[in-house]
Amino acid sequence: MNGLQTLVTFLVFPSGLFVMLCGLAYEWVDRKVVARLQSRIGPRWFQPLADVLKLLAKEEVEPAGVNRFLFIGLPVVGLAGALTAALYVPIAGLKPAFSFTGDLIVVLYLLSLLTICIGLAGTITPNRFSLVGATRVLTQVFSYEAPFLLALLGPAMVAGSWTINDINYYASTRWLLLTQPVGFIVALIGLMGKLELPPFDAPEAETEIVAGALTEYSGRGLALFRLGKSVELIVGLTLVATFFLGGINNTLDFLLKTLGLLLVMAGISALMTRFRIDQVVGWWRYGALLALGQMLVIIALQIWKGM
Amino acid sequence: MSAENLLQAAQELLTPWTQEVRAPEPNRLDIVISASDLPNAASALVLSPWGYLSAITGLDHGPEAGMIEALYHFCSASAIVTLRIGLPRQDARVPSVCQTIPSATLYERELMEMFGVDVVGTPNRQRLFLPDDWPDGVYPLRKDFQPQMAPVPSGASIKPAPETPTGDRFTIPIGPQHPALKEPGHFEFDIDGEVVTGASVRLGYVHRGIEKACEERNWIQCQYLLERVCGICSHSHAYAYCLGVERLAGVEVPARAQAIRELVAGLERIHSHLLWVGVTAHEAGFDTLFMYSWRDRETVMDMLETLTGNRVNYSVNVLGGVKYDLIPEIIEKIRQGITYLEKRTLHYRDVVTKDAAFLQRTRGIGVITPQEVERLGLIGPTARASGVVRDIRIEAPYGAYRTFPVSSVRETAGDLEAKFIVRINELFVTYKAILTILDNLPDTELTTRVPRKIPAGETISRVEAPRGELFYFIKSNGGEHPERVRVRTPSINNFASVVSLVVGHQLADVPLILAGIDPCFSCNDR
Repeated sequence: MNGLQTLVTFLVFPSGLFVMLCGLAYEWVDRKVVARLQSRIGPRWFQPLADVLKLLAKEEVEPAGVNRFLFIGLPVVGLAGALTAALYVPIAGLKPAFSFTGDLIVVLYLLSLLTICIGLAGTITPNRFSLVGATRVLTQVFSYEAPFLLALLGPAMVAGSWTINDINYYASTRWLLLTQPVGFIVALIGLMGKLELPPFDAPEAETEIVAGALTEYSGRGLALFRLGKSVELIVGLTLVATFFLGGINNTLDFLLKTLGLLLVMAGISALMTRFRIDQVVGWWRYGALLALGQMLVIIALQIWKGM
Repeated sequence: MSAENLLQAAQELLTPWTQEVRAPEPNRLDIVISASDLPNAASALVLSPWGYLSAITGLDHGPEAGMIEALYHFCSASAIVTLRIGLPRQDARVPSVCQTIPSATLYERELMEMFGVDVVGTPNRQRLFLPDDWPDGVYPLRKDFQPQMAPVPSGASIKPAPETPTGDRFTIPIGPQHPALKEPGHFEFDIDGEVVTGASVRLGYVHRGIEKACEERNWIQCQYLLERVCGICSHSHAYAYCLGVERLAGVEVPARAQAIRELVAGLERIHSHLLWVGVTAHEAGFDTLFMYSWRDRETVMDMLETLTGNRVNYSVNVLGGVKYDLIPEIIEKIRQGITYLEKRTLHYRDVVTKDAAFLQRTRGIGVITPQEVERLGLIGPTARASGVVRDIRIEAPYGAYRTFPVSSVRETAGDLEAKFIVRINELFVTYKAILTILDNLPDTELTTRVPRKIPAGETISRVEAPRGELFYFIKSNGGEHPERVRVRTPSINNFASVVSLVVGHQLADVPLILAGIDPCFSCNDR
């Protein structure tokens, strides 16, 4: 791979510009579907893009008393983490741009990086809404991260590999949704928690803490965080679709499966009332136990097969 | 018990302190007592128990008379006993009644800042409505107050929130500007982790001095001004005002006009309650219910628009009757709308009683016991959700409610779920009442003549607004202007409960508990 090609891979396709635009388009689908379910009209197709472009052009207000380096740096690191994660998943049904043994774990950590950046961004300002929001973000990370990881390890274990590309090959011949339904449900809900979609949007509950951890962010910083969220949406959907919905082998596969998942998530969002943060944590206790239970079953079956 | 029996009982209770007794109206008794006897007399009425303190009215007789009166209005069903205390204007002081009636604190604060009556021993002496930079010794509801005595609004009137959390108190400010509030009010919640440990409230951000402004306007203008106290229950305000003025003028309103007033009050209650269901669902993060109930609320808004031409300040009343008649096409539209709304409301009742995710945000949250209802003087649906029926339409029927009565709705749990059920069941009662009125609409004139000058006298009119008892005290000197209009809105009674209820709850429950009483800041800051 020569230098120019690498640069294009990083900045334009499949990571970089493409995945950001794709993420914004998916965000529109989510918003539009929820709006229609709530008998509203919903935004026009370019609204998320317009929001981000407008934010990028706006003045960024830096609150008094923050560490400037962190305030500007955290959105960049968060977005970079999400974009890097996009390099290792089969975006648009193509072979991942990079692949190595154990990249599944790296992708999961990169996705968490964005959430942790948002949490930290809340703690560096003296704003009280941000502080409460940050506490909630970090509380929620700890509650859904373990079940989400455990749920994704199920397919990895049956495929006998921790490389996303290998799991994709393995999953293409069978729908693991059918053999590991518990893992699928936990992974799907874990993804909603990661993306802070309703009903897991306590960290940004506007009626209590305004905009949560990002209350003090405006302009560029907010735009970058929002782009990061959109990229995370794409990567997360791709990951879950790859593992549980029979793999992703071409562009049509990618569109159908990820959009299908998105519709399910939008439906759940529209149906549910926001959970309180203590209820979220309580819920995930069961999620973790379920995922763990399924994992033990898989291990037992593997051993039994091996005998 | 009838009003006569109740008044007789009250008179006997108050004999030891009575200086003079007057009966201005069949259902009212004015008892003059001296200031020092007030706590005893108030305790006797409340603890016996005869009734509850509905309002405290200040009445300035002007610099020449040199007297201010403090009127304590106690209500029991349709009977009203007013304890009248004459005070010298220069040195007006009364003892506090908060020992036995804790809910009186808000009325006493208002009396202090608006009339300069020193309430000795009241637990909270802070300003309630006036800005923090209002000069001492300037009392806006006294007769010698001039507008130029009010300070020019400055930023200093708003107390800045502390920049950083201090000590071990971590305070979350909500308001005056906050996404949970559609109107300005300021709340401070101390939290420990996610649990609220303390709360305080500051109102008055949109106080408009409407009570004072009424004294400058003629009887007809006042109605339009008072309709603008509140955007949601504008009809209730005009209704209460018109009832009072018509009683002073000795005018009997035609039956058809009375029926139309009740019908519009019903439509108003429907749109207010549907609005509340949506707002409270939104506070809980259930936006789908919010969008659905507000969509269906458009049905009733359309009815009001068809009938009156307006969606919000529909201004149906005139002194002596109503402006708009129900023609067959409108009647048909209302019938169709009600049929549709009945179906939808059944669905909402299912949602709020069966949706598991929603119930874990409402069931057992913000429980108010009947004892607290009495202690805090709560009224309206908030009281009815705790098993205490406080409903003027039933206790003291007025206007067409005597011909077309409504049945009472009551729940006993006292939590947010009960508040949802009470309001939704009230919708069904209201639908039924509206259909009954449409079936039996009396065929009379719409208005009678009301004189420009209203005969001298005092009256009290109470109506049941969507949020509870709305209390009007109107005094006329026989001129073209009211001498005094006292408006006590239902929200102010219920506000006190929020501050004591939220302590111990999660921060996430705070917006819900606040919305649970259906607060109307615009009503408080009239």
